[in-house]
Amino acid sequence: MKPRNNAAWLFLIPSAAILAFVGIVPLVAVFNYSFHDIFSLDQAYWVGTQWYEEIASSQRFRASLGRSLVFSALVIAVQFSLGIWIALLLSRAPRYRTAVLMLLAIPLVVPWNMIPIMWLNLVNPDTGLVGRAFEALGIGFDYKFTALHTWLLLIIMDTWHWLGLVVILVYAGLSAIPPAYYQAAAIDGASRLQVFRHVQLPRLAGVLSMALVLRFVDSFMIYTEAFRINAGGPNGATTFLALDLGENINGFSYGIAAARSVIYFLMVLAVAWVFRLVTQAREGSEE
Amino acid sequence: MKAAGPIAGFVGFALLAAFVLLPLAQTLLLSFLSTLPREGIPEGQPTLLNYRNIVAMPALREAIVNSIIYALLNVLLCLAVGLPAAYAFSRYRFVGDRHFFFLLLAFRVTPPVVLSLPVFILFAKFGLVNSPVGIALAHCLFNIPITIWILESFISAIPRELDETAFLDGHTLPGFFVKHLVPAIAPGIGVAAFFCFIFSWVEVVIARILTVTAGKPITMAINALFGFQTDIGLVMAMTVVSLVPGVAMIWFVRNHISRGFVVRA
Repeated sequence: MKPRNNAAWLFLIPSAAILAFVGIVPLVAVFNYSFHDIFSLDQAYWVGTQWYEEIASSQRFRASLGRSLVFSALVIAVQFSLGIWIALLLSRAPRYRTAVLMLLAIPLVVPWNMIPIMWLNLVNPDTGLVGRAFEALGIGFDYKFTALHTWLLLIIMDTWHWLGLVVILVYAGLSAIPPAYYQAAAIDGASRLQVFRHVQLPRLAGVLSMALVLRFVDSFMIYTEAFRINAGGPNGATTFLALDLGENINGFSYGIAAARSVIYFLMVLAVAWVFRLVTQAREGSEE
Repeated sequence: MKAAGPIAGFVGFALLAAFVLLPLAQTLLLSFLSTLPREGIPEGQPTLLNYRNIVAMPALREAIVNSIIYALLNVLLCLAVGLPAAYAFSRYRFVGDRHFFFLLLAFRVTPPVVLSLPVFILFAKFGLVNSPVGIALAHCLFNIPITIWILESFISAIPRELDETAFLDGHTLPGFFVKHLVPAIAPGIGVAAFFCFIFSWVEVVIARILTVTAGKPITMAINALFGFQTDIGLVMAMTVVSLVPGVAMIWFVRNHISRGFVVRA
């Protein structure tokens, strides 16, 4: 057991100071702005909870929230089923292991605003490899004006970007399972599905919840990639929560932008809190 | 367990590789084509012109240097403040340790767009706008948590006896950190450095809002290339350049890559 020593806080001072400066102070500021109407930095007027009431009663906010939730649900469904499946295959085919893991890591190091540019060029009907193939096959792909196609492009692009994270984490979780578990399952004559359900899945709970919290918050707050693809269009069909916020900031509506920021932060915080509770409950049951 | 058939395995691997490599191949292809009508070079002709243009354009050269500077500065900052914090979490329990851990999680998952505005106003007051120091500092928000999590797991793998013998040998605390702890967790330092560098390198929202007139990062330099007549070949060449450090570093951390996505609560 680790010794108890409050002097250990001295080790935390440098990081706590930086986090206070770049995290706490801006958070307090944004909380303060959210109760003001801000014309400029010197002209701010107290408006109470007006912005919050406006957001809570706005049809647009509810629509964006709905779209963001659906987007997160879809990318999580796609990326987790594909990711778990690939990781399971990798654990059985060690020959491709390093190559696949390194391959899947490449999209993670691409600057975020480059990803939509790459994909838009890929589906460009004049110069893109996929765009020209669609053209030749007579498949009409119109991400600009057909909402379904915009959604498809966003989901495929996001999967390209983040599939590696899910595979890498699940694979790491799988390699941490002691071989004795598999031997015991083999003696019991367990099928592959039973092994997955009763041996692998319970041992993957930790890494899966990690991947889930990271994938949820990032997809729920998708901004750079989605904005570049179609700026929230067509007709607002891909206007997610963060795109509304970006629009407020670009339109200099700082008061309502701040209120929106507070609401989004609280949503993300709630997700992190649930993750913490779940993790602690699991650790408690393992001890 | 029965191994998947070698042919099925190969086909699956090829499909996956095609999916991942297709956008990259497209980017690489366009980066070697002349994509604007130019005198003497027909459109669509293979050329090295785009890469030569990067070298010839000061704005692009400077952007590459700017990005490297703030990403490296961020790595140094995160390691310098993250190492003692990780040591404290690894070796001691103290009042508020779990709350601090939750704070790290909260900052790791806070979307940068939520804080972009107040961070800009705050940094403007301290003269940190348009400077790589500002971006390096702002990126600590999500990189300090990652550093602490990674280093804590590496330090916890080292027995306490290392600390105790070092102190018995008369090492001071800084001496112990530099001479014993850092060499013992060298791979962990490398892994943490890799992830700080990468997450700082790919971040766009904060890097954009903190560079108004100067100090533009590589991502913004690429955005600035879009206009009335976009030279997409040049854009793609710049994108290829922006991929080089990350792809090169993946090789070095290939066995530790899962550590960067570890989340603690």
